[in-house]
Amino acid sequence: MQTTGFIVRKRIATLFFFFVIIFLLLGSRVFWVQFVKGAELSEKALQNRMRDVPVESKRGIIYDRNGNELAISVSADSVYAIPAEVCSKGQQKEIAAKLAQVLEMDEESLLRRISRNSSFEWVKRQIDPEKSKVIRKMDLPGIGLTEESRRYYPKGTLASHVLGIAGVDNNGLEGVDFYYDKLVGGTKGRIIIEHDAVNRPIPEATHKFIPPVDGANLILTIDETIQYIAEREVDKVFNERKAKSAAAIIMDVSTGEILALASRPTFDPNDFSAYAVSNRRNYGINDSYEPGSTMKITTAAMALQEGVVNAESRFYCPGYIKVGKEVIGCPDRKPHGSQSFAQTIEKSCNVAFIQIGLELGLENYYKYLKAFGFGQKTGIDLPGEAEGILIPRASAQQIELATMAMGQANAVTPIQLLTAVGAVANEGKLMKPHLLKQVIDDKGNVIKKVEPQVVRQVISPETARELCGMLEGEVVNGTGRNAYLEGYKVAGKTGTAQKVGPDGRYMSNEHVASFVGFAPADQPRLLGIVVVDAPKGYPYYGGWVAAPAFREILNDSFKYLEIPRYNSGKDGQSIEQKEQLIVPDVVNLPVSEASSLIKARGLRVEIDGSGTVVWQQTPRAHTKVERDSEVIIHLSPFEGGKEGAEVTIPDLQGKSMKEVARILADLGLHLVPEGYGLAYQQLPEAGKVVSSGSSIKVKFQPVGE
Amino acid sequence: MNAKRLRFIDKAFISALFSLLIFGLVILRSASIGISSDPFFYLKKQVLIILLGLALAILIVRYDYSQFRRFSPILYGISILLLLTVLIWGTEIRGTTGWIGLGSLPMVQPAEFTKVLLILAFAEFLNRRKGELDTLSDMLPCFLFMGIPFLLIIFQPDLGTALVYIAITLVMMFAAGANSKVLIQVIIFAVLLIALCLYLHFQFGMWLPLEDYQLKRLTIFLDPYNDGQGGRGMGWNTIQSLVAIGSGGLTGKGLFQGTQVQLNFLPEHHTDFIYAVIGEELGFLGAAFVIICYGILLIRAIIIASNSKELFGSLLVLGITAMWLFHVFESIGMSIGLMPITGIPLPFLSYGGSSMLANLIAVGLILSVNVRGKKIVF
Repeated sequence: MQTTGFIVRKRIATLFFFFVIIFLLLGSRVFWVQFVKGAELSEKALQNRMRDVPVESKRGIIYDRNGNELAISVSADSVYAIPAEVCSKGQQKEIAAKLAQVLEMDEESLLRRISRNSSFEWVKRQIDPEKSKVIRKMDLPGIGLTEESRRYYPKGTLASHVLGIAGVDNNGLEGVDFYYDKLVGGTKGRIIIEHDAVNRPIPEATHKFIPPVDGANLILTIDETIQYIAEREVDKVFNERKAKSAAAIIMDVSTGEILALASRPTFDPNDFSAYAVSNRRNYGINDSYEPGSTMKITTAAMALQEGVVNAESRFYCPGYIKVGKEVIGCPDRKPHGSQSFAQTIEKSCNVAFIQIGLELGLENYYKYLKAFGFGQKTGIDLPGEAEGILIPRASAQQIELATMAMGQANAVTPIQLLTAVGAVANEGKLMKPHLLKQVIDDKGNVIKKVEPQVVRQVISPETARELCGMLEGEVVNGTGRNAYLEGYKVAGKTGTAQKVGPDGRYMSNEHVASFVGFAPADQPRLLGIVVVDAPKGYPYYGGWVAAPAFREILNDSFKYLEIPRYNSGKDGQSIEQKEQLIVPDVVNLPVSEASSLIKARGLRVEIDGSGTVVWQQTPRAHTKVERDSEVIIHLSPFEGGKEGAEVTIPDLQGKSMKEVARILADLGLHLVPEGYGLAYQQLPEAGKVVSSGSSIKVKFQPVGE
Repeated sequence: MNAKRLRFIDKAFISALFSLLIFGLVILRSASIGISSDPFFYLKKQVLIILLGLALAILIVRYDYSQFRRFSPILYGISILLLLTVLIWGTEIRGTTGWIGLGSLPMVQPAEFTKVLLILAFAEFLNRRKGELDTLSDMLPCFLFMGIPFLLIIFQPDLGTALVYIAITLVMMFAAGANSKVLIQVIIFAVLLIALCLYLHFQFGMWLPLEDYQLKRLTIFLDPYNDGQGGRGMGWNTIQSLVAIGSGGLTGKGLFQGTQVQLNFLPEHHTDFIYAVIGEELGFLGAAFVIICYGILLIRAIIIASNSKELFGSLLVLGITAMWLFHVFESIGMSIGLMPITGIPLPFLSYGGSSMLANLIAVGLILSVNVRGKKIVF
């Protein structure tokens, strides 16, 4: 036993160390699991058992600049079920039946939902208050109600493109509600439902409620009244002209604050799903178009700034200009003749602007395009702003420069052009357009204030002022006459651009009519743009489609803002309503005759097209218009030989034989001359209606006889 | 028995034991709260068993352990009979036919008791053959002696307990002075044999007493997420246990606060996975405390073994120590992803009457050796 005892003792000592090693092994492994892997495993333990149910925070109110509510939050009850509790007493069928009746839902699918193997299920969200009262009273096991907040836009379609929409989960989806979602949306709260390994919620620990943080309130730069005016006018032109889209933006010249932004087609954000998605496009921000002549403002600004032209410069327009191999012209190649720089703006002379553009050169032109903000986002606080499309500098040649100078080839967004022209109105300073004015909390404390931001000085204040005067002339004497506002100096420019069709060529029947301008010209306050895409009917010119809408918006806005009218002084009656005149009927009259007839009435004449006889007139005969309004007479070479076309015979008295022959040929009539000299007799007489192809006998006699 | 001898009783051993027992009751209160309508149901039963066990232990301490030597063939016979009985008439619970009930008496697991009985019998078996364990042919009778009950356990099948038998056998033979070279050769041979069996099984469909899923269960702990269900299948237990312990940190989540336990992510948390409950609710401090208690308990037991006046006493104590060590290593090991999931209880902590009773009887045996040992304690 002694010897074995010794061996045993030795063996026991070995075992002792073996045991110690095993315990060290266990201890260190426990240490590793708890401290090295601890954080990771703790996270896993949490994921194992927590089910989050989001609780909507209340979205902040969106106000206009005067504190009018544009978007508010209303709360509605939502019904949820905790399936484990619903099924705990085996009454799920009865519960489903009762709920289905109140909520008008399918009983079977409801039963399936509330007995699903999950810890939480929505039964129905945002129900009527009466229904919620009934359900509350029934007090069904496992069925609960929670308050959810929902966006409501009390003004309906007003400024819908600015405000945007909020979805079922109360999240901003578009507009300001999307752009400032983090700010206005607040922080969602949570109901944390702890559940066990088989998805049963735990009775005591459940329903831990983390309250949501409500969103901040936004004060926008929008003025509800001006917005309303803009909506009304853009609505009118959009509907009357059956346009594809239209937009009007009004901006405060010196701050860049957007006072109104209306876009068509529109939608009601409270019921947005009832409208086509395309209605939600903000035409003023999201789309680009070829600006046409409105772009000449920036071309003019560049030229003045670079000294390429000055107020004394004179231009001669023969109706067309050759650029390389191409020939570009003014409308219908109608020559504007000799003109001052100011007149080239008034008449929107393409030839002069092409000359100016070519003189500026590509380098300069692109430098200023960039400075005016074209081809870049303006940074307005709305989602999805387009950048516009510029012809790449590398591929631009003289012909591109020529077309760019007159406003074709490049595409801009309305907001881009507006801010660019704003630089002219604002002493050369380009302002960043913005919609958010202030952020306030529930007690009205200002959390954040947005200051006006000068992006850059594009042109010198002197250049800007000089151009302002010329643009005022454009409205007084030029194509923008319909924007003329009695008592205010309005500066601006019309634009009528042909649209590029799907084949890449300009379409002859679709145009974008626009007007961009500001007033008062000597001390600009409001800056605005009206763009109408594809207006139907005639005339489609910016001066006829967009300028009147611009005038109405500015007129009513100035009244509302109580901006005083200046006293023109000369006749003292300029503030009075203008005399109403009746438009004469000039259809089928020779041009000269029609012109003098209209001028005699105290109206202006605008000749459109080429030809000798008036084919159509706008406004129509016998309509009442104000003194000095414009009447467009559209000339069109008569398509002779058209069978059955009725022609009113013009008065040919006093005209030379050559003239008579041309007039009659245009009308599709045959001249049967008699004698020589000037016409003194005709058969049938003037005013008689004959069918084309008829012969007219005209007697001529020498003058002075 | 001489009352004076009680003064020699190993106080560190007793302290460690009672620490574990009390600690076990505290943690059982928390671990069993949600699994019965009466939150004290398991606690009350466990307390009763402990009291009964302690009473038995006291009885045994008073009895001279060397008297058992005479009964060793009988004890061995009883063991084999019990294991056969349970294999034939036993009740199957969770795939293992390890339980037997007599009328209205609570079900018992004979294998828990046979472990102690076999240690007694094997200690005497080795005692008789002292110094004759040099060659393989010397050892074969020993392997045969323990191999029969081992196979009976395997057929239940209860792999965890079967492995305990191997641990007991090897430790006791080693302590009895078996040629360690031969012993190691035997171990290597056994491992190779098992590997061959597994190979034949998977390649040629050779029959094995274990089902495929049971085999898979043995290896899943190495990569618990790779169970074909992203950790929701066989790997679930290992993952949930690791998550429980890992999320406990230094001080734990507090009693009744362990989410893995209280929300039933952790299975069998009042029995096999009691250690994960400790790790989660009482943190590293609780987990380390338990390991230290076992450390003291087992090391004191080894000292008691070395102080025994005779080989039988030493082997008896070492056999029990080996049994406990393996239980502790396996039960804690599977909780921390170190060992495969084989459901064996943690001595003195896990809920379970048979195991507790058998272990307290073993305590009685160790103390009986203790109080009759040499006076000098190193």
